Amino acid sequence: MSAEEEENAAELKIPDEFLKAKCLMNSEVALILEHKYEQLQQMGDDPMNQVSQVFEKSLQYVKRFSRYKNPDAVRQVREYPSLCVLGNLCPETVEEAIAMVPSIKTRGRAHDDEAIEKMLNDLSLIKKFE
Amino acid sequence: MFFHIVLERNMQLHPRHFGRDLRDKLVAKLMKDVEGTCSGRHGFIVAITGIESVGKGLIRDGTGFVTFPVKYQCVVFRPFKGEILEAVVTMVNKMGFFAEAGPVQIFVSNHLIPDDMEFQTGDMPNYTTSDGSVKIQKDSEVRLKIIGTRVDATEIFCIGTIKDDFLGVISDPGATS
Repeated sequence: MSAEEEENAAELKIPDEFLKAKCLMNSEVALILEHKYEQLQQMGDDPMNQVSQVFEKSLQYVKRFSRYKNPDAVRQVREYPSLCVLGNLCPETVEEAIAMVPSIKTRGRAHDDEAIEKMLNDLSLIKKFE
Repeated sequence: MFFHIVLERNMQLHPRHFGRDLRDKLVAKLMKDVEGTCSGRHGFIVAITGIESVGKGLIRDGTGFVTFPVKYQCVVFRPFKGEILEAVVTMVNKMGFFAEAGPVQIFVSNHLIPDDMEFQTGDMPNYTTSDGSVKIQKDSEVRLKIIGTRVDATEIFCIGTIKDDFLGVISDPGATS
């Protein structure tokens, strides 16, 4: 896709390289960044001096908005065939989920309402028991 | 949204770094060069997580610098039009409010705030519904939809809306704790 104007995440119109790439939930990003931050700490210097502003802001953001704190829970959610966006936003009802991620109903994913509801239930169970 | 993606970059290395730890030097330079940068195509490069491959170096004519094609995995943050995400409000004024989602700034104009929310001036400028039940001020967490992006060389800037179903201040108490 060349024209910037055409991209629309709601219809899954995003550049090919991102469709192929793995999307990460905030919780996963938090794990990765915290691990990296610890590594830098072990190297001795004050990590705050070394990391970029982008890194710092991202870390703060994902810490604030990660829904699953426990690494095992994150792994469980990841194994579940759901969408990262749902893991990030944790919608409570089927309508909410569809409003958040319209593409959940299209593009051959063919999730019907029941399937979506089951998925949301499972996700909230994982969250409850983490 | 965050992605884990493989990118490629041609790294130029000065001959003084050649030796046993050439690869380490190369990786350190790569991290220094690309982490924290932003491109319109890939978004913000947050952190490098691994090196996929380092190609054969090519000596440059005249300078002695060697160019290595390096493939690396990294975490990028790329906002898309139509995407829904959560953000923290950083500034409120009568034109609308600014929010931050990780490295990216999002502006929500007052035309894209529900009509029943009114701007209130004061110490803590905010947008409040007439019954006072919902309030957007600095440090509020909001869920918004990105409706436009502007990309320049080093920054991505977004326009968002909260005038749609299921958008606005996050009420879920679990989320704000």
